[in-house]
Amino acid sequence: MMSPDPNTDTMHPQLMLLMELQDLRSQHRELEKDDGSAPVEREHFHIDPAEARAQLAEKISELEERLDPQVRARYERIRPQRERVVVPVINGVCYGCFVSIATATVGDQEVHQELQSCENCGSFIYVVS
Amino acid sequence: MKLRKLFTTDSVELNLESETKDEVLKELIQLLGLDDKSEAILFKTLKRRENLGSTGIGKGIAIPHCRSLVVNELRLAYGRKPEGIDFQAIDDEPVHNLFLIVAPPLEVSNQYLPVLGKIAQFAKDPDIPEKLQEIDEATQFLDLLEERAP
Ligand SMILES: [Zn+2]
Repeated sequence: MMSPDPNTDTMHPQLMLLMELQDLRSQHRELEKDDGSAPVEREHFHIDPAEARAQLAEKISELEERLDPQVRARYERIRPQRERVVVPVINGVCYGCFVSIATATVGDQEVHQELQSCENCGSFIYVVS
Repeated sequence: MKLRKLFTTDSVELNLESETKDEVLKELIQLLGLDDKSEAILFKTLKRRENLGSTGIGKGIAIPHCRSLVVNELRLAYGRKPEGIDFQAIDDEPVHNLFLIVAPPLEVSNQYLPVLGKIAQFAKDPDIPEKLQEIDEATQFLDLLEERAP
């Protein structure tokens, strides 16, 4: 069958990294919480939660190393304050702070190819089309 | 939460075309109707989960799952590969029934884990694989959920 690779050419590579990091952190946190995914992963999928967490942590550090220094600094600054470093912008609304973002900011991410953030809450943003 | 309510006929594919694990993950992701970038991120995240251990739980069933910021509500899809596909399942048997579960990073309703457990229970029911093989239309899949996972 035709299975083209999803097109990521137009995405800022650092944004892609941040999103991957965010997702890895979500899985890591889930495995850590008392009422998290550990029991389900153990019972149904035969995963050792501690081992899985260690593997995820290693991958997280690896990806963090690949962040540009400025992006990394900002990422480290935002991270302790909010659970999510990257948030989607849907219909012009930042899902980090639920404030409308000026259309000039969200504009066409594909055109300016810049890493964008919300002026109100500072989260990196990812525009959902 | 009823499993039936989490699927639509659009998120059910009874004849998956893929021949490899990577392809089939992409084909399942496509059932969610996300944009290209979101599909790419989700694929990476699901692969990372598979790297921790296959979600092929045996008896021809796989339940790829993760949390991802590319969805803003719990999303599910079902795909069937009648001839089976190598998914590196824990029993090394080909996988015929695939349930994709993707949850946002934070959910108010906290449905992700209960739903994951429910799907695993449903799929492990001894006569379910056979029933799934007999289905001809997506609506019959929804009916089966209604009947067996009330
Ligand atoms: Zn914001």
